[in-house]
Amino acid sequence: MRFHRSLHGFVTPLVLIASVALITFLGVLGGDQVKTSLTEMLIRMVVVVGMWVFVGNSGVISFGHVGFMCVGAYAAAWATVDPNWKSIMLTGLPDWLQNGQYPIPFAIMGGAVLAAAVAVLLGGAIMRLSGIAASIATFAFLMIVNSVYSNWDAVTGGTSSIIGIPTVVTPWVAFTLAAGAIFVAYAFKVSRYGLMLRASREDEVAARASAINIVRVRLAAFVLSAAIVGIGGGLWAHFLGVLTADTFYLSLSFITLAMLVVGGLGSLTGAVLGVVVVTIVVEVLRALEGGIALGKITLSLPPGSQEIGLGVVLALIMIFRPSGLTRGREVLWPRRRSPMTEVSTKTATALGPGE
Amino acid sequence: MQSDETLLHDRPGLLAQPQAAELKAENVVVRFGGLAAISEVSLTVRRHEVFGLIGPNGAGKTTLVNCLTGFQAPTSGRILLGREQTTGWSPDKFRKNGVARTFQAGRLFREMTVLENVEATAVGLGLGRRAAAERAMAMLDWIRLAAQANRIAGTLAYTDERRVGIARALILSPAFLLLDEPAAGMSDGECEDLVEWVATIPQRFDCGVLLIEHNMRVIMDVCARIHVLDGGRSLAEGSPREIQENPAVMAAYLGMEA
Ligand SMILES: Nc1ncnc2c1ncn2[C@@H]1O[C@H](COP(=O)(O)OP(=O)(O)OP(=O)(O)O)[C@@H](O)[C@H]1O
Ligand SMILES: [Mg+2]
Repeated sequence: MRFHRSLHGFVTPLVLIASVALITFLGVLGGDQVKTSLTEMLIRMVVVVGMWVFVGNSGVISFGHVGFMCVGAYAAAWATVDPNWKSIMLTGLPDWLQNGQYPIPFAIMGGAVLAAAVAVLLGGAIMRLSGIAASIATFAFLMIVNSVYSNWDAVTGGTSSIIGIPTVVTPWVAFTLAAGAIFVAYAFKVSRYGLMLRASREDEVAARASAINIVRVRLAAFVLSAAIVGIGGGLWAHFLGVLTADTFYLSLSFITLAMLVVGGLGSLTGAVLGVVVVTIVVEVLRALEGGIALGKITLSLPPGSQEIGLGVVLALIMIFRPSGLTRGREVLWPRRRSPMTEVSTKTATALGPGE
Repeated sequence: MQSDETLLHDRPGLLAQPQAAELKAENVVVRFGGLAAISEVSLTVRRHEVFGLIGPNGAGKTTLVNCLTGFQAPTSGRILLGREQTTGWSPDKFRKNGVARTFQAGRLFREMTVLENVEATAVGLGLGRRAAAERAMAMLDWIRLAAQANRIAGTLAYTDERRVGIARALILSPAFLLLDEPAAGMSDGECEDLVEWVATIPQRFDCGVLLIEHNMRVIMDVCARIHVLDGGRSLAEGSPREIQENPAVMAAYLGMEA
């Protein structure tokens, strides 16, 4: 029995999912504007939780995950856009994609599979690199994805957008997938692979002496992570209804990484919390940019304040709390009761009062 | 239900690590640029004995252990595990074949719990988490750190940290255990306790131990054979008595043993 405690049950993901459900529940009571921001936040949560599977457990920063989002989004869109439009605009697609139209859940899964496949190829090449070199390689990957998707006109529409993607992603749909992502990410963290990967994050040399094949465990996390982020991309496509490659570039990379760092790379709780906190900061700043009427005067921040504000928040976190708001801890971290204290408590109860 | 004792030192079938009788360095040379850190060193660690490796700072002891565990490829010469050539083996392959080590600097997984630190090796060797936790717990029981199992490793006292490092190497009974100054930074008393404990490992775990340690008294006490390195060269090898009476060793250690 006492061993199971080390896996600390599934309390953490359940608490996280319940909190996100509460936020969603409150959000859907709001107006359209609120619902839009809420859905956006939940989709980003899928993406950031997906990134965390790799970045959080391995300690290797990736600038390239938004590239997987792009891959997943386009793949899902290819499968669900009206064939008539595709036969005019996306003439480079294979027949079965160009002339067919597939159910949205399959389309999104297809996007995840394609993102995972790309991750196998990319990861096979870069997981051998040391941390910083691997990070730079992921950035190179992002640039490659962006230029391929911006220029391959016959398949992606190039710089003109893909339009007419069915918009079916409601707040509750996005919530369901965010909850799924949280659950899978936590299951990964406490799995054998998660443990080995976290050990390699702590000390690569000692991990190798502990019979851990670092390349293999990193690659496994990278692929799972890409698949989840790919799902986030598919959701994004079916939320906005329009796709442009530039959506998935530097500013989205920056904001998703900021979410990870603000919450704390070390824990899943950090990833989830970071998404919520950064979204609130961004929304408040956006509202202020738009102007707030105070009696007769309208106060408004100059345009661009959003990015500056987010940058300031990030800098402050790095200065005052470098390991993020959660400091690498999960919500409901088990009380540090050792097995010994448990034994003695049991003994005490067995002995009964008065002993 | 297995008893704690079998959990401690049996080797589950699916990961039967080859049980070589000897771990051997043959004419090993390691050069870092112009510097020869190891020159033509040969030695053999046998199962069931404590083999001492001593020498002044910078003698090449750690470098030799790195060679014996796959962290450093010899410039020339070879490492043999039983009859097997180990050229090109990665450190994790060495561990999977039963060669385990600790580090002079400790190198615990500091943000993880003590239990997870020990579990990591069992999982790396192929066990599932539950079985790994069970064995790790048996190991922690044995080294009397069970009470600290859920503590974050980075907060342990220094001597406990060292013992967790050894537990991590010892789990699932390796054939060879290479200890790089496990008592570094300890008081003489603590060092003696630790080394006496280390001396019980070969019998209990059916393995060979290579021990690097600067405290001559404990080394002479527990080792069956001792190998002396100086400036990357082998100075002598023999029983504690032979080493104590060796003039070259005495000369090298003159002034060190105050
Ligand atoms: N990676 C490296 N690159 C260059 N030189 C190295 C490297 N590792 C060790 N050396 C050098 O090789 C020599 C042997 O070092 P080593 O660490 O093996 O000695 P040691 O016997 O373990 O010493 P100590 O008792 O201080 O631990 C030293 O001169 C050291 O500076
Ligand atoms: Mg050394």
